[in-house]
Amino acid sequence: MDALIRVDDVSKRYDNNGPFAVEHVSLDIAAGEAVAIMGPSGSGKSTLLNLIAGLDRPTTGTVAVAGQRIDSLSETGLAKYRRQRVGMIFQFFNLLDDLTVADNVLLPAQLAGLSRASARRRADELLERLKISDHRQAYPARLSGGERQRVAIARALVNSPELLLADEPTGALDTATGEEIGRLLLELNQAGQSMIMVTHNPDLALRYAGRTIEIVDGRLAQDTAGAGARP
Amino acid sequence: MVLLVSTASATLGLALLTAANGPFNRAFAAQRGADAAVAVNSGRVTTAQLTATRRAAGVTAAAGPFSAATVTLSSKGVSLPSSLLVGRASPGGPLDDLTLVSGHWPQRPDQIVLSAGDGFFPGIGSRMTVTTAPGKPHLTVVGIANSITNTADAWVLPSEISALRPAKAPATAEMLYRFASASSNNQLRGDVAAISAALPAGAVGGFSSWLSARQQATGNSAILAPFVEAFALIGLFMSVLIVANVVTGAVVASYRRIGVLKSVGFSPAQVVSAYVARVGVPAVAGCVIGVAAGNLLAIPVLHKSAASFGVGSQSVPVWVNVVTPVAMCALVALTALGPALRAGRLSAVQAIALGHAPRQGRGYTMHRVASRLRLPRPVSIGLAAPFARPARTAGTLAAIMFGVTAVVFAVGLNTTLARAETGQNLAATAPVQVSLASANGWQPGTSRDRAIIAALRSQPGTLRYVAAAQTELSAGALARQVNAEVFDGNAAWLGFDLISGRWYSGPRQVVVNTAYLNQTGLTVGQSTTMSTGTRSVTARIVGQVFVPGNQPALLTSVQTLGGTSASLALDEYLVGLRPGVTPSSYVGALNHALGGGYYVSGPDGGQFYLIADSLIAMLTLMMAVVAGLGVLNTVLLGTRDRVHDLGVFKAVGMTPRQTIAMVLCWVVGPAVVAAVIAIPLGMVLRSATADAMARAAYTALPASFQAVYRPAEIVLLALSGLVIAGVGALLPASWAARARTATALRAE
Repeated sequence: MDALIRVDDVSKRYDNNGPFAVEHVSLDIAAGEAVAIMGPSGSGKSTLLNLIAGLDRPTTGTVAVAGQRIDSLSETGLAKYRRQRVGMIFQFFNLLDDLTVADNVLLPAQLAGLSRASARRRADELLERLKISDHRQAYPARLSGGERQRVAIARALVNSPELLLADEPTGALDTATGEEIGRLLLELNQAGQSMIMVTHNPDLALRYAGRTIEIVDGRLAQDTAGAGARP
Repeated sequence: MVLLVSTASATLGLALLTAANGPFNRAFAAQRGADAAVAVNSGRVTTAQLTATRRAAGVTAAAGPFSAATVTLSSKGVSLPSSLLVGRASPGGPLDDLTLVSGHWPQRPDQIVLSAGDGFFPGIGSRMTVTTAPGKPHLTVVGIANSITNTADAWVLPSEISALRPAKAPATAEMLYRFASASSNNQLRGDVAAISAALPAGAVGGFSSWLSARQQATGNSAILAPFVEAFALIGLFMSVLIVANVVTGAVVASYRRIGVLKSVGFSPAQVVSAYVARVGVPAVAGCVIGVAAGNLLAIPVLHKSAASFGVGSQSVPVWVNVVTPVAMCALVALTALGPALRAGRLSAVQAIALGHAPRQGRGYTMHRVASRLRLPRPVSIGLAAPFARPARTAGTLAAIMFGVTAVVFAVGLNTTLARAETGQNLAATAPVQVSLASANGWQPGTSRDRAIIAALRSQPGTLRYVAAAQTELSAGALARQVNAEVFDGNAAWLGFDLISGRWYSGPRQVVVNTAYLNQTGLTVGQSTTMSTGTRSVTARIVGQVFVPGNQPALLTSVQTLGGTSASLALDEYLVGLRPGVTPSSYVGALNHALGGGYYVSGPDGGQFYLIADSLIAMLTLMMAVVAGLGVLNTVLLGTRDRVHDLGVFKAVGMTPRQTIAMVLCWVVGPAVVAAVIAIPLGMVLRSATADAMARAAYTALPASFQAVYRPAEIVLLALSGLVIAGVGALLPASWAARARTATALRAE
């Protein structure tokens, strides 16, 4: 099966003399998988996610998504890759406080040049599906944590990306809300959305991901899907 | 960097204000100016007798005797009027300490230094011929020097004077004196008379006084002072506003840090002092470097200013270098103190929360409005962003506004001065003048007159010409003589600028300048009676002409003063050229046709206007740069403030180009508003400054000097705001575009 994501012997260090945040990691992720990346604080799991998202560049090695090398893209290329192929969800939501819920969700579509009508239809559909359409004209500061994360998920999905990347999506939420979000993500995966989730919560990983990858001190320590891991 | 730029601007502004205030008196003291330069007949007095006059009653200092000669110099075939050549071994001395503007003092016999006061500047290294000396020797120009009281037209080594003196001309010398009492012409005449009495009969010729030099220089400085002061004030205001805005913003942006300090045990007083110190240390460094930068910037500007004021040199006063950084640091402390005190009073949690929490309610409406505009999303977000930070936006707007005001002011003033210059030197209508090299006049119809007319007619480039005579008249109750310019022929084509009324169209009609009307109390339409000394003439004042100065002036025809019976000596022909003929080529051709004995000159750029123009250009550029740097600083603060938001934009797919467009749009709105305010402000400032300059020049202004802005020009001037804003914002926009997304997302 052709991998959707191929990470090939990737290493990342933030300065020439510093330690590696990620070291010699190789793995393949197939389309439709829900993968949890786990590890203790500072293990490099968010760094690995950022490399796949194109938010950062590896020091050595290559990252390919849907056959396209993203480590060698220009900044403009990476921006276009992120808006077309990736949806990002962050622990602290990263919504824009000056924009309404609807405008936050619409933003990636507008940056991608989608027509106003298409973008609005897509945004309305997502707000409805995620049960936050009542808040479309509200500002993020007035929403609960769970509601903000739903807005973030809607924003991440507005351009129908191939890949959904979530960095500690429930880390800033209470248990009950976290479970709601977890179930939501599971539903999305069951509908076919490929997903990678960084979490330090083994329960979340067990319940909502079909495969778990463990990173320790920047290195791949364990991968529950043996067929997808490459030493 | 804000403090550096603003301190430099403030230093320059204060230096200019000081330079414009009494430049002559300060320069006279600094250069040990001579109260009187006395011409002496060396054949009637010995050096010992002249030296003894240092101890004459009333003399406080003396220098000389310096050998002297009256010569005619020419350069590239163009003869200068008679020049006083003085022999001096060095530019320095106990009196009349010369300032070398460029080049060096003569070191060899064939070298000459010209006076800056003459306004004639062949390049260093060019050759001049002493046409009145035996053998017509050549001299090389090695320097330009300034004497505060213009004691000579040129200098050579003392040993050269006898060789350069015209054959059979008597040996002359120059003595320089300072007196205990020299504040009026009467006192000076008395002082020189006392010296003359102490010397053999006939030893002392005439003398030139410092009062005449001061009058001329003060006239110029009084005219220039309003616009120099206007620029200086713009620079000072801009500096203060930019510093206040940026420092306040920097402190507010650090509330979270202040909260952290409190949470680890800092008391409110410690927080306030720690924070003011934190802002203060780089501020002090910026101020110190800024003073040095301001002094460096001031060098070329004060050089021009000194030349325009005719004072040789000007420098930044010591008190400016002390007061400016102290005042700027005090300003930083004051503007930092308010928000720091507020943060000190907050609890740690509140301070941290203020540093973290989104600013509620600001800019929401504009973002909603902008989201509906059919513009690219980065553009609409950028246009709405300034409303979320109104204080910061006000600072940006103020910086752009001052910059555009300076540009509008300068462009308009430049046009006014250009029209004044053209009006004064008639460069547009009569760019060539022909006179005798001896500077004497001649009678109409004589061989000289016929020779000039024949030469003019022989030149294919000649379009028209008119003869002019300069004379002095008595008029009414005026105590002083009136300068009259009298034309023999049609002179309407000369195009003198009229403030009111019309040009004279026949005999017994005159046009006069503003000083004439003010001093006689007459108005246009009334009659005035003049006396040539031999006859009295009554004529009607039909127009008020633009001839600046407090000397009354009158222009009329020869017929008004009695025609040929007036026996007026002609002084020059004013020549208009055919289209396409350049003055320089015409001057060369006419010189060749006339041969020796005549002086043909091209358009006189006028040192005053040339220097004023370059001063305006220099100051405007500096103001625009300071405004651009002010924008850069506020936008930079903005990008640092919003670095996390920038990370979010980039994470959801904003390209670098879209990021740059968004950041540039932050300043578009303020630039448009700034231009709307600045254009009328600049126009009013120009009008007020032009009026002040005209009053200092004892004249009113023709309407054409005031209507200086064309509609297309106004549009371009408005766009200058966008240029200043765009250039200022471009660098921070590029940095924002290049910021690493992952790093930006981690910023708080």
